[in-house]
Amino acid sequence: MIKDISRSALNLLMGLILAGFVFTPKASAADGKAIFKQNCAVCHSMTDQHLTGPGLAGVMDRVPPGKWLHDWIKNSEKMIKSGDQYATKILKENGGATMTVFEGTLTDADIDEVIAYLKKGDATTTTSSTTTGGTTGEQVVEAKGGIDPLYIILIIIVILAILIGILRGVRNSMSAVAEHTPDEELAKTFWQESRDWMASHRRFIGVCCIIIVLLGMRSCWNSLWMVGVYYDDASDKGYKPEQPIKFSHKLHAGDNGIACQYCHNSVEKSRHAGIPTVNVCMNCHKSIQTGPQYADKEISKIYAAAGFDAKTGTYDLSKQNPIQWIKVHNLPDHVYFNHSQHVVVGKQECATCHGNVKEMTVAEQKSPLTMGWCIDCHRKTDVAMEGNAYYDKLHAYLKNKYKDQHLKTFTVAQMGGLECAKCHY
Amino acid sequence: MKLNKYINLKAFAVSAVALAFVAGLTSCEDVPNSPGFEFMPDMYRTRGLRYYNEYVTATGDTLKAARLPVAGTIARDYLPSIPKGMTYEMADNLKNPIPFSPAVEKEGEVIYGKFCVHCHGDGGHGDGKVGLKMPGQPPAYDGGTLKNLSEGKIFYSISKGKNAMGPHELMLNADERWKLVHYVQKLQGVRNAPPAADSVAVVTPAGEVKKEEAKH
Repeated sequence: MIKDISRSALNLLMGLILAGFVFTPKASAADGKAIFKQNCAVCHSMTDQHLTGPGLAGVMDRVPPGKWLHDWIKNSEKMIKSGDQYATKILKENGGATMTVFEGTLTDADIDEVIAYLKKGDATTTTSSTTTGGTTGEQVVEAKGGIDPLYIILIIIVILAILIGILRGVRNSMSAVAEHTPDEELAKTFWQESRDWMASHRRFIGVCCIIIVLLGMRSCWNSLWMVGVYYDDASDKGYKPEQPIKFSHKLHAGDNGIACQYCHNSVEKSRHAGIPTVNVCMNCHKSIQTGPQYADKEISKIYAAAGFDAKTGTYDLSKQNPIQWIKVHNLPDHVYFNHSQHVVVGKQECATCHGNVKEMTVAEQKSPLTMGWCIDCHRKTDVAMEGNAYYDKLHAYLKNKYKDQHLKTFTVAQMGGLECAKCHY
Repeated sequence: MKLNKYINLKAFAVSAVALAFVAGLTSCEDVPNSPGFEFMPDMYRTRGLRYYNEYVTATGDTLKAARLPVAGTIARDYLPSIPKGMTYEMADNLKNPIPFSPAVEKEGEVIYGKFCVHCHGDGGHGDGKVGLKMPGQPPAYDGGTLKNLSEGKIFYSISKGKNAMGPHELMLNADERWKLVHYVQKLQGVRNAPPAADSVAVVTPAGEVKKEEAKH
């Protein structure tokens, strides 16, 4: 009897456990979060921030009670077509942008879980908007302001000269006071003294002057070579102007790994690599509204240029204004240079001419861009012809032309890359 | 006074110092904002309009060189890849004019590596470096709403943008976007066997669908 009771009790217990296993609702908070992340977070933040859709902080207090939110998530367009009052209101508030229809993608249970998650809120997501720009800090080296050392030296020289003048004046007036004891040494002026000294050391002075003149001529000659050249080989320093927006190539191309071609997307199709238009910036910065170093200070300049209102997520075309970027790599107008020819046909890397831009906070010229530099590369570089459809015909012709020399590879120069009219016409 | 004997010497020294001074002034490469010395600057910077600059005209108006084209301007040889008035819901009708081949998919992968990977991640899971910094991470291609997205809707989303994503039709031409669609479909995991390559449906710019023999 007791045994039977204990057995049935055991069965009951087992049954309960099994039933609990089958009927316990799935751990809804976690699942709701996962569903939200996959389907909703692209457009809705859990804060007040307006992304593509409105921020969802306090959404449960806003929407009509009952099943409204459930129906809206399921098929928002049907709600709008049915003329629901609140549906038309939020459609208007969001500039007529409709929400994705989730009927067929999300089940009723899924939607309920999302709503449960919305009710509960989430401590971790509410703070996420403050860290949206990412936490990878990077130091932008400020363009050196202050005074040129040359001027400091000049100022020191001037101050010394004034001091000498004052001392001389003091000395002269002293000697004027002591006039009754005329002293040959005292009566001599500074210039007279130095003339006497120079006269007695004429050979030394002569050699010094010749050395100074030669050094001066050398630096003159060197600086003549730098006329119109924006990069100095010796110091590895180039033209590095401060741009209207403190855009960091290091952050974008380096840390975030965005390809050069994403922003400079005409590089493979055109003569110019191109400065990206503001819509390219807005592709990401519509959502990413703060940066790691300057918060929203620099990014707001993009919004000003695009006429974008970050609060409502709308554009005002009448407020658009171009960003006046300063061109760093400048070739004179009498030179023809084609990016696509070098990048697509010649298969050159960006860094070959532009240096390691991924490490630059401020873009800097890293090649002289002189004709000698162009010619040098055209003489040295073997053209990648094999398997390059562009060169098939030329390859056959050149093989025939240079067949006595048994050449395996051809440089740009051997293909006529040094002819004047290739670049100057 | 033996002035005459060393006056030349003095002039010599002064001129040397002056030369060194001039040389110091012309080599301005230490100042990052200065392009350095330009002899005849109009050879470097022409008087013609350059982009992103402002010019004050003779009448006193400020002229911006970066301006939008005249309304209705289209590029030479441009054909709209998406018929006018088509919405996202209608995009299912768009069919890929480029037949599938492993080579095309490879090209699509190269384009993906330049234009998509930083947000959508290597495997299309929305875990790119930029994607992780977005307030909402991009959805994965192989789950949820995107798993069964038609090629037309993929193309439409790339072209016109969708939700947080911006439009890319100005950055990639139609062929490149269709090649991209092939690669995105691979990441969706929908392509188990390559489709029959003997005939493909082609959408002409006018929107009509016709059958065309694939060129091999």
